Amino acid sequence: MPDHEDIDVLRRQLAEEHKMASLGRLLAGIVHEINTPIGSIFSNNQVVLRSLEMLKNDLEHLTDETVAHARALVSTCHSLAEVDKIACERIGNVIRGLKSFARADSDELHGVDLFEQVSGTLKLVQGEYGRRIVFENLAPPDLPRIECYPGKLNQALLNIIVNAAQAIEDTGKVTISASAGADCIEIRIHDTGKGIPESVRDKIFQSGYTSKPAGQGTGLGLTLSKRIIVDLHGGELDFESRPGEGTTFKIQLPLQQKRP
Amino acid sequence: MESNGEKPTVVLVDDEEMVITSVRAYLALETDYRVEGFTDPEAAAGFIRQQKYDVIVSDYLMPKMTGIQLLRLAKDAAPEASRILLTGHADKQSAIDAINDVALFQYIEKPWDNTQLLLAIQGGIERARLLRDLRDRMAELASANDSLKDVHRRLIKAFL
Repeated sequence: MPDHEDIDVLRRQLAEEHKMASLGRLLAGIVHEINTPIGSIFSNNQVVLRSLEMLKNDLEHLTDETVAHARALVSTCHSLAEVDKIACERIGNVIRGLKSFARADSDELHGVDLFEQVSGTLKLVQGEYGRRIVFENLAPPDLPRIECYPGKLNQALLNIIVNAAQAIEDTGKVTISASAGADCIEIRIHDTGKGIPESVRDKIFQSGYTSKPAGQGTGLGLTLSKRIIVDLHGGELDFESRPGEGTTFKIQLPLQQKRP
Repeated sequence: MESNGEKPTVVLVDDEEMVITSVRAYLALETDYRVEGFTDPEAAAGFIRQQKYDVIVSDYLMPKMTGIQLLRLAKDAAPEASRILLTGHADKQSAIDAINDVALFQYIEKPWDNTQLLLAIQGGIERARLLRDLRDRMAELASANDSLKDVHRRLIKAFL
């Protein structure tokens, strides 16, 4: 018989494997999200270097024609520098989203800005689902900071947001909204997907249950999310669903964690 | 590389404006091609149905339509034009589908190398123009053949 310690270790391993599997599934999208701006930066760098050579040449042989040519080159370089700025911001946003997951092993509580956490998580799913699903972050940017285990909370948010995206078969929308009460924050994740049939509603938080095709779901996502939100943070996780219209997951989290 | 005095036309399709801006700037610096850029694949589909072009370079993952769907339309509209897929979504299946379904000329992965992209576009233009010339020559031959047949028929009629 395995003792409690063994079960705890296995549980942690399983949670870690699930986290890596969910990130792995998003990896193609993340790579796409980064490859495009990198391609642009490389290309722009080559064009700018070549333009500088041409500019040097223009300056050495000043005529009306070379001055006009030089002006056009400067204007091109200017617009490419603008593109590079946008490209770097895009890469930075994806990396910031990933970095918040790298903190997942931290056992320490941190005060975090929930709006930023949601934005970072959305950056990760954007690459994989952004072409067919619109993600809208309606959480107000001035929400009070919340005390939590940031990496773990991000994992729960990611699981629920990915589930919402996967519930949409073709095109649709996932909307995240949030509001603050006196001592808690409520986050709502709404999708315009197919909804959860009555018959499986009491099973969705059970470990191993999945309605997804083989290779897409481990049946652990919502179980782990519930464990992170309810057991680890003392919050609540619930949902409302209408078949054919969509589902809303509601997360309630206390602003401060109870000290043991 | 001009045929009948016309500059080669390259169609660029990517839902990311930054890709269009970067590739357009590079081609403007290194070539005299006419470049038509589209961030909306449906607008690109409208263009390729109506206008003559030599090469189409398309992204794979786009809203409304994938690159393969767009290149399939391009193949139907102008089979002799060359089709290049420029993709950051490097999955083997999409490459196989592209090669088999749309007779792809080149498959280039992002982040792309400008020199490689330019070589592919140059090769694509050359191929498209050769195929178009070949098609025109074959049409000329067919028409000459028809005239000869007609002369032959009339000769036979005159002598018999």
